Amino acid sequence: MTGTGLELRELRKTYRSRGRPSVDAVRGIDLSLGSGELLGLLGPSGCGKSTTLRMIAGLESVTGGDILVGGASVVERPAQQRNIGVAFENYALYPPLSVAENLAFGLKARRRAARGDVERKVKEIAERVGLTGLLDARPAGLSSGQKQRVSLARALIREPDVLLLDEPLSHLDAAQRDSTRRELKRIQKDLGHTTILVTHDQEEALSLADRIAVMKDGVIQQLGTPYEIYDSPANVFVADFVGEPAITLLPGISGGDGHARLSDSVRIALPVPVDRGREVVVGIRPEDVRLTAEGGLPARVVAHEPLLESGLATLALDGVERHLVVLTDPEVRLAHDDRVRVAADPRHTHVFDAETGEALR
Amino acid sequence: MRKRVLGWLCDTALILYFVFALFPIAWMVILSLKPADQLFSTYFSFSPTLDGYRTVLGDSEGIPFVRFFVNSLVVSVGAVVLSLVVGLPAAYASARWRFKGSENLMFTLLSFRFAPELTVIIPLFVLYQKLGLFDTYVGMVWVLQLVTLPLIVWIMRSYFADLTPELEQAALLDGYTRKQAFFKVALPLVKPGIAAVSLLAFIFAWNNFVFPLILTSNEAQTVTVGALSFLGGDRPKYNLTAAAALVSVVPPLLLALTIQRYLVRGLSFGAVKS
Repeated sequence: MTGTGLELRELRKTYRSRGRPSVDAVRGIDLSLGSGELLGLLGPSGCGKSTTLRMIAGLESVTGGDILVGGASVVERPAQQRNIGVAFENYALYPPLSVAENLAFGLKARRRAARGDVERKVKEIAERVGLTGLLDARPAGLSSGQKQRVSLARALIREPDVLLLDEPLSHLDAAQRDSTRRELKRIQKDLGHTTILVTHDQEEALSLADRIAVMKDGVIQQLGTPYEIYDSPANVFVADFVGEPAITLLPGISGGDGHARLSDSVRIALPVPVDRGREVVVGIRPEDVRLTAEGGLPARVVAHEPLLESGLATLALDGVERHLVVLTDPEVRLAHDDRVRVAADPRHTHVFDAETGEALR
Repeated sequence: MRKRVLGWLCDTALILYFVFALFPIAWMVILSLKPADQLFSTYFSFSPTLDGYRTVLGDSEGIPFVRFFVNSLVVSVGAVVLSLVVGLPAAYASARWRFKGSENLMFTLLSFRFAPELTVIIPLFVLYQKLGLFDTYVGMVWVLQLVTLPLIVWIMRSYFADLTPELEQAALLDGYTRKQAFFKVALPLVKPGIAAVSLLAFIFAWNNFVFPLILTSNEAQTVTVGALSFLGGDRPKYNLTAAAALVSVVPPLLLALTIQRYLVRGLSFGAVKS
């Protein structure tokens, strides 16, 4: 185990350029990672997650706040002296050098490793990430998945205190993504590096991370385990961003009786009591609604997409403008304009304040 | 069928252009091989002789052409080397960072190429006289920076801009210094560009006429001006001028042939990314 804790305190970044309004890319982030923890920084592009990563690495200056590695502030140190490993999104492999030379390149910077030592370490790390047969290959001849592993090995070979992964799987095709993701998880658990994974892909974050920080507009919206993020999203943004297929968000008005009115005829049960007359947004995940023979709400089928292992139905509730998306069993066959009934489990229904977007609990 | 006709038309056009472009050179070759007394004969039968070349390279007309040739080499190579030493870091810096006035600086550099050299030559002449740079290597290398530096900085800038900065950032994270990242990572990757732009700069420096014409007299005079000396005197010796001109084509040509390998990649100006 080589991991060391990482802490961000009130970390801020403002871009100022002459003649243009300044941009607050990161607005005061607090994060604390335990040794060996893998934290996923999840958000849409432009949310400040990459800027945060670059500030930790020392590639971007810090406007305010502090970064602590193993309890010591590194903000004043240049990138060279931080001992942080980064696997870049575009791999950043040096084209004229072989894989082995690429790996050794990082070790030679500090001139502290003897030649035999370098060779041993290259072999060791190559074995760890499964590159042994590729050591003599050039980067141009590798697949994206292999390049990503070289990039990872290159970041790991220096035994960094903290490992940063920038969209590590975004350039891989679906098959490689699955296998590389499993590899990544195994290697990270194996070597025990404290790791931040920056990604816009929720699947990547959910499957790899111990905890996830969902970011938007330079602010962390919610921090929690994948289950916490999924089961009890802190606000409309998190609910909408995490979950595939996406959650259905229906505006309504609380009746004060444990129900919300979505239209003149449609009422839906709420998980928590909400004051009468308050405007709310009800969130229902497609997997938390089922078709039922009796009871529930009447709906008209707008579309049904058979996805083989399941189906996805788009339904119109009477008088409700937004459509409800429902995950159906594979054997269900629906046609346009069919009448069905649906029931949502109130325990898995989410309710948010319409004005602030915050979850009501 | 239409395609084939089109192909023939293209070929014919190319051949016509080829003849048009090469004709002056062919004429020069013929001229340079003519003996002095048959210079003005208009038909092609003459007794070819290498006397012209012998005279030019042998210093026998009182015109030290070999020295002009060496001067040209020294001055052109010197100008390119100095421009590389100054221009490569400048190109890198301007490609990687936007600092106060960086764009103005780059534009100023480019503007050296706007005005014809003749517009600045008189003040330069006066300055050079006063500073003791007139007719010196240093003076020529310096003034040729007006020609070579903008070229090298602007072209190399686009090469550096095409390199992904992550390569250098990865090196920084490994513990390399900025300087090492430049020399060990960025520079080796733009080698084809350096080769191509050096050749271009060399050709421009070598072919420059106005600067050596006004700013040198004898010691630092170059082939472009020197070749004209054979036209002076009581009788213009066209055959010698032709021989001198052809000799002075050799270095750029040799250079181009030796680095041809890089040229094809280099002259695409980084337009095709890997």
